[in-house]
Amino acid sequence: MADTVLAVENLSKEYRTSFRRKRVRAVEGASFAVERGEIFGFVGPNGAGKTTTIRTLMGLIRPTAGRCVIFGEEVPAPGARSRLGFLPESPYFYDYLTPRELVDLSGRLFGLDRATRHRRAEELIARVGLADAADRPLRKFSKGMLQRAGLAQALVNNPELVVLDEPMSGLDPIGRKEVRDLILWLREAGKTVFFSTHILPDVEAICDRVAIIAAGKIQEVGQVGSLLDESLVGTEIVVRLRPEQSLDGKLPDGVTVRDRSPEDVTLFAGPRVDVTDLLVGLAAAARIVSVVPRRDTLEEVFLRTTREAKS
Amino acid sequence: MIGRVIAIALNTFREAIRNKILYGVLAAVIGLNIFAVVLGAMSLAEEARIARDVGLAGVSLFGAMTAIILGVSLLYAEIQRRTIHVILAKPIWRHEFVLGKYAGMAVTLTLLVFAFAVALALMLWVTGYGFDENVAKAVALGWLEVMLVAAIAIFFSSFSTPFLSGIFTFAIFFIGRSSKELEYAANKAKDPVLRVIGKGALYVIPDLHLFAVSGGEVDGKAVSVHATFVPWAYVGHAALYAFAVAAVLLVLAIVVFSRRDFS
Repeated sequence: MADTVLAVENLSKEYRTSFRRKRVRAVEGASFAVERGEIFGFVGPNGAGKTTTIRTLMGLIRPTAGRCVIFGEEVPAPGARSRLGFLPESPYFYDYLTPRELVDLSGRLFGLDRATRHRRAEELIARVGLADAADRPLRKFSKGMLQRAGLAQALVNNPELVVLDEPMSGLDPIGRKEVRDLILWLREAGKTVFFSTHILPDVEAICDRVAIIAAGKIQEVGQVGSLLDESLVGTEIVVRLRPEQSLDGKLPDGVTVRDRSPEDVTLFAGPRVDVTDLLVGLAAAARIVSVVPRRDTLEEVFLRTTREAKS
Repeated sequence: MIGRVIAIALNTFREAIRNKILYGVLAAVIGLNIFAVVLGAMSLAEEARIARDVGLAGVSLFGAMTAIILGVSLLYAEIQRRTIHVILAKPIWRHEFVLGKYAGMAVTLTLLVFAFAVALALMLWVTGYGFDENVAKAVALGWLEVMLVAAIAIFFSSFSTPFLSGIFTFAIFFIGRSSKELEYAANKAKDPVLRVIGKGALYVIPDLHLFAVSGGEVDGKAVSVHATFVPWAYVGHAALYAFAVAAVLLVLAIVVFSRRDFS
């Protein structure tokens, strides 16, 4: 039986606008679960409800309906929070603190003793690459450095679950790579990572499973691979005609010629064409050069899902 | 729980002492004490009275103003700057956070009032007037008032912007200091509505006049820091009142703060 670390059950959150008191539904009936040891991506466009869901998980806002459960305890529950680390979106820290003081404060709130706090601060500050800036006030930090300091404070309690809200947002490619590597390092260390993002190549590269949220509703939940399998759009086949042969009248319905060069012909078979039968049929007239299934990228799946949600 | 409250308190204290405004206030109080000496020298045989009055007014007013300045943004700034998101995601209850913030501010203000008192004592010692028991009682009352004003400020800060909280807290400070005048006006008012409003305000608004009694009357007897002042028992009763009202305000701040969404 899977070991569920975090579960969101039929979660809804409604806000009222400041002046007109109009109701705005940020999240509607969201449900998904994160299992132990996986990297779970929470994907959606800006304003989809990712941050609202995460803030509800962290007990910062109360759900209008539904509930969140972390380590079997219903949120808000400080007991469960002692086993998780959290990095908020665009983190704002006390800018008069140094990374060392920030990690120490975080350790105090987890009830760690002085020696443990000191040791963890040294380890984590070095791990996130801030050893040279450990005693510099955070107000002098770049966004990438702040993100790394935030990760250090989130990990001080050696958490089993790490929740990261848009950890790659606003970072340059090198910064994104560093955060990606840190997330992979966390998985290697046996942690469960739940993170939200709208940067899809990162999700495709590191996530085991994803939930796609759009317009406040969960649109898809599944393994990255299976989401992509479901999105086969066709197969591209390159063939080299044998002497005196042609393909005229030999292509079944659903197969089109995409390109023709003096030597090769590029065909495209739609998703319903039986590719094995097609290849057998072509073998007499041509030599098969390559067969490449064409799938949507996660980005295309995401855009299609988001479009469907809006319509 | 205590460990988490102390952690928040230490951080609040650290924030305050890294705030340059605090040093500006301290410099202003030292300046006021020097001004008190100059003013005393210009007066006719009233040097000691002026030195004490101006010095004690500095302790009380600058202490209360600092409590308002620091207190009104204490909770609001955490929400506005979203620093609270990192903190409340830790295993800490919201009431522990509010108590820690107040404790940190209380420690900061206590040290500040202590520094004001040292500046006053130095000024009185240099001018040869002495820091006697009456002055010590007046400083203690001033400190209690500062603690209470800080609780008023933190209460407003739990639901309002620093600007509005500042206005509300200053208004409460001003009306609370004028409680005797308000009581007199309420008793003399001919309009029953005004009388009810005035008496109602006396029940709701903390009586800050209790902490600034020099020159007035207590139990029908004139009291003055320059002559016969209140006994230590009065300071004790004032302390009970200050801590009881501060506790009520903190509970209200906790209730409001605990019900808030931090989006």
